[in-house]
Amino acid sequence: MSRFIATSAIQGAHAVFNEAEQLLAQAMEKLGPDTPVAFPNTAYYLPVIYSFTGHKVERLKDMAWPLEHARALLPPVPQDNLWLPYLGETLDSGVATLFAEEMIEGIRFALGEQPEVRNGFTYNGPIDDVQMRSWGIQMVDGRMPGFAALVGVAKSNEVAVKIVRELQSKGQLIFLCGNVNGRSIVDQLLEEGVELGYDTFTVPFGSDTISAVYALGYAARAAISFGNVAPGDFRQILLYNKFRCFAFVLALGQVDDLKYATAAGAISYGFPVMADTVIPNILPTGITQYEHVISLPFDDIPGKDDLERAERLVQRCIEVRGIKVKIAKVPIPVAYGPAFEGEVVRRDNLQAEFGGKGGLCFEWLTMKDMDEVEDGKFTVVGGDLDAFEEGAKVPLGIVVEVSGRKMQKDFEPVLERQIHHFINGAEGIQHIGQRDIAWLRFSKSAVAKGFRLKHLGDILHANFHNQFGAIVDKIQVTLHTDKAKVQELIEQARVVYQERNVRIAGLTDEAVDTYYSCTLCQSFAPNHVCIINPERVGLCGAYNWLDCRAAFEISPRGPNQPVPKGKVIDERLGEWEGVNQFVYEHSGMNVERFTIYSLMDSPMTTCGCCECVMVIIPEANGVMIISRDDYSMTPCGMTFTTLMGTVGGGMQTPGMMGHGKYYLLSKQFIPVQGGIKRVVWMSQNLKEELGEELKEICAAAGEPDLLDKIADASIATTVEELLPFLEEKGHPAPSMESLI
Amino acid sequence: MPEVEVPLEKWTGKVNEVRLGGNGRQAVVVGGEATFPFLQFEGAIPNRPAVAIEVLDVQPTGWPSQLAAAWGNVLADPALWAKKAAEYGADIIALRLKSAHPEEGDTGAEEAKKTVDKVLAAMDLPLIVLGPEVAEKDNIVLVAASEAARGQRIALGNCEEKNYRTIGAACIADGHVAIAKTPIEINLAKQLNILLCDLGVSPESILMDPTTGALGYGLEYTYSVMERLRLACLTGDGMTSMPMICTVGEESWRQKESKSDIEVPATWGELEQRALIWEEMTASTLLNAGADIVVLRHPKTVEAIKATIDKLMG
Repeated sequence: MSRFIATSAIQGAHAVFNEAEQLLAQAMEKLGPDTPVAFPNTAYYLPVIYSFTGHKVERLKDMAWPLEHARALLPPVPQDNLWLPYLGETLDSGVATLFAEEMIEGIRFALGEQPEVRNGFTYNGPIDDVQMRSWGIQMVDGRMPGFAALVGVAKSNEVAVKIVRELQSKGQLIFLCGNVNGRSIVDQLLEEGVELGYDTFTVPFGSDTISAVYALGYAARAAISFGNVAPGDFRQILLYNKFRCFAFVLALGQVDDLKYATAAGAISYGFPVMADTVIPNILPTGITQYEHVISLPFDDIPGKDDLERAERLVQRCIEVRGIKVKIAKVPIPVAYGPAFEGEVVRRDNLQAEFGGKGGLCFEWLTMKDMDEVEDGKFTVVGGDLDAFEEGAKVPLGIVVEVSGRKMQKDFEPVLERQIHHFINGAEGIQHIGQRDIAWLRFSKSAVAKGFRLKHLGDILHANFHNQFGAIVDKIQVTLHTDKAKVQELIEQARVVYQERNVRIAGLTDEAVDTYYSCTLCQSFAPNHVCIINPERVGLCGAYNWLDCRAAFEISPRGPNQPVPKGKVIDERLGEWEGVNQFVYEHSGMNVERFTIYSLMDSPMTTCGCCECVMVIIPEANGVMIISRDDYSMTPCGMTFTTLMGTVGGGMQTPGMMGHGKYYLLSKQFIPVQGGIKRVVWMSQNLKEELGEELKEICAAAGEPDLLDKIADASIATTVEELLPFLEEKGHPAPSMESLI
Repeated sequence: MPEVEVPLEKWTGKVNEVRLGGNGRQAVVVGGEATFPFLQFEGAIPNRPAVAIEVLDVQPTGWPSQLAAAWGNVLADPALWAKKAAEYGADIIALRLKSAHPEEGDTGAEEAKKTVDKVLAAMDLPLIVLGPEVAEKDNIVLVAASEAARGQRIALGNCEEKNYRTIGAACIADGHVAIAKTPIEINLAKQLNILLCDLGVSPESILMDPTTGALGYGLEYTYSVMERLRLACLTGDGMTSMPMICTVGEESWRQKESKSDIEVPATWGELEQRALIWEEMTASTLLNAGADIVVLRHPKTVEAIKATIDKLMG
């Protein structure tokens, strides 16, 4: 806590408290203690006082209690020779300030001095209940992110208008109050002909700082109304606002003691305070979600002119409050939607292509610091789609830079893989592959309709915001078509891809203490729970451990939940108390034990989506693996479809297990049964698809020729055919420890 | 006869009790079961399943003639219809604001408010208000309905994943009950309940609609999902402990078995009786799966189902 701010706020609180006390005494004498006090068209008495304490102020005399309450909250002004942790006292004085301010406004109403009329303009005063309801619902359902309370006066009329327009474009409700040396932002906006009122989401509360209390009264009423919070439960009122109401205060111009005191009140609500002048920053977070007080001296904000500075100022406020951007429609000149995902751009309709055979194309998503990324900035370096001749093959580098408070380095590949799916949604654009084997084809009609490379930026920007807003706050995209530059960047990207490969390879089951669940398939396999550990991809092949971790960040109530391993029961089998408990609870109490390393002892269940099924062949003392794409008969006497009937549906079947293709390459591939050396039969397409990598795995297991010793449907579809083949090839399985 | 010992399960959870109405209206409490449906010998079943009659805010088009004939003139006026439904023995009136559908008249908040006022004034049963099931329109008309019925503790539906916040917020603000509808899936049902609770809706103010098909149209899927939801509830999962509501009439009466008498096999029997049986069978099946409220359309089905409930409740 800044000593300076604490001292100013506490001084301000004392001053406004004294004002309230005097005003109350005068009013009691002039009007009598039974004079009614009410904010018109509201049913929450003096709402800040009511929500914090449950105390109803209906007459002047009812203010005696809150006045004493505020007095008790007021800490002494810090002495010059004392150094104390001031946060608690400052927040208390903030609350005392709000009480005093609200009483002053209440008395003004009793005196007929509210709403304020100044220079012929009638200010709004408190927001009525009908409007509070309408906006409150929009804040709860997310149509309106929150409100911005602008206090003071902007650098110029032009800047005032720009700030308001920027906030409006982001759907923020705008409250206006306060002045600096008698001049208010309301004056500025009126001079520029800006229409103020409920219809334009701009509410001029009053020309002084005291009227800022209406903003906090509004927030308190919203919490009671929509948060199911009881008046008097101040803790819940404040927490509700901290987590649900994305509001902030922007102090424009010089900040005096009363503004500091009122700001302290706003901070107790979890609303951060930004100022466009030099004031001390309060960065450590806690009361607010992120920083508490940020100074953004207007003239120091980078920008070519004041308008750009105003835009950046608003952007920064939005970031500090953690407001998420949603983009309703992808702004591109062609249709966009899942219907176009499978679309193919054929040669006769090809305008230009990037990558593919002999081409050069890559996509690279990288994480940056917040201030290194400008949200929505798309740059094309080199020629664009209309610059190339028809059917040209051009190099392309798609560099996506993202930043976010919850972004993690490990999420880079998870997000990067979405590029394929996002870009494919555009009509007339085909995307294949990923990383440095990406291949994009653009149709003539898409380019004729005006599609340019910049629109790839629009697509990625909109989709990352909408679908990954929980982890990504800002996205900028650069598209390179200059060959030398693409060549240079692709080398850098390859280094990163390699680092990621190493990271994934180093991500072992041992290295983490939490696995993830996937219960996505319980719709049709109600008792099935996938447990996804770093060394085993989900059995559908779609989710690995990192994907699950990101999915959990994005949707904390979703189907991927963290599963703490808990105490180890059997290291060799891969059995942990935490995992057992989770699986038991989430399988409708059907699966009691669960090991991740054994095929024979409580293996993982299967929903029905598995890429492969593994089955023991007792006669061969080994296992066979059939993939979903393989329709042939197998030595166990069943086809894939028949096997699914046995293994699917969430049943635990020792000796049978569904799994993903890439599980074959895991170092923890059925380790209890001896790993890859147990495999005596495998679908041909698996051998082909995983060929090179499988050979490495076999070599690492001390059997470099193992792949040739493993049968497939072209060699054996019965045990009788299988056994002589294994013997002839000298397969290791028959002489290994007995499976059963 | 040999003595047979009836095996009894000990359940740790029970269904939440949800009150509709009150404050001058009749009140209906549903839920509270501490066992599977109608197993009174095993656990407490403090409340009967309730029967709601569906009332549309516009004259229905395309209803089978016998269904339309059963109601006659009142179909043109939701208030009269609701009053008549109360006479036919409904425990609850389920008002569907069908006219708000963009293709059915596209009426807005004002009309919704008027209709709700009118229906509330016409009878004193608890009310359920259902939107046109177009998320944006639901938001508009249900919020208006919520305001109109403030303090009457009506149920508002449907909250779906897309719009649960708006309707949930309206329920909190006006003290109503939210109906959470999910597409025949236990985890989605649970997730929506969690999301509503996160929003601040109390668990005692939520009903679940697991989505149903009619007999012969996927009823068994719903049966199974409801059974599993109830099992999860009874074993102590608070987020699946909401009472369940099923829109039986709507589903049943749009199937050809309830409509068609031309070119159907003779073994199907006579249409009038078949259609009634269809609605009745769908309803009684879902009651046995754990439905706490069934929304019906034909007065005769209401009579039959109420008799069934009487028998099952012993």
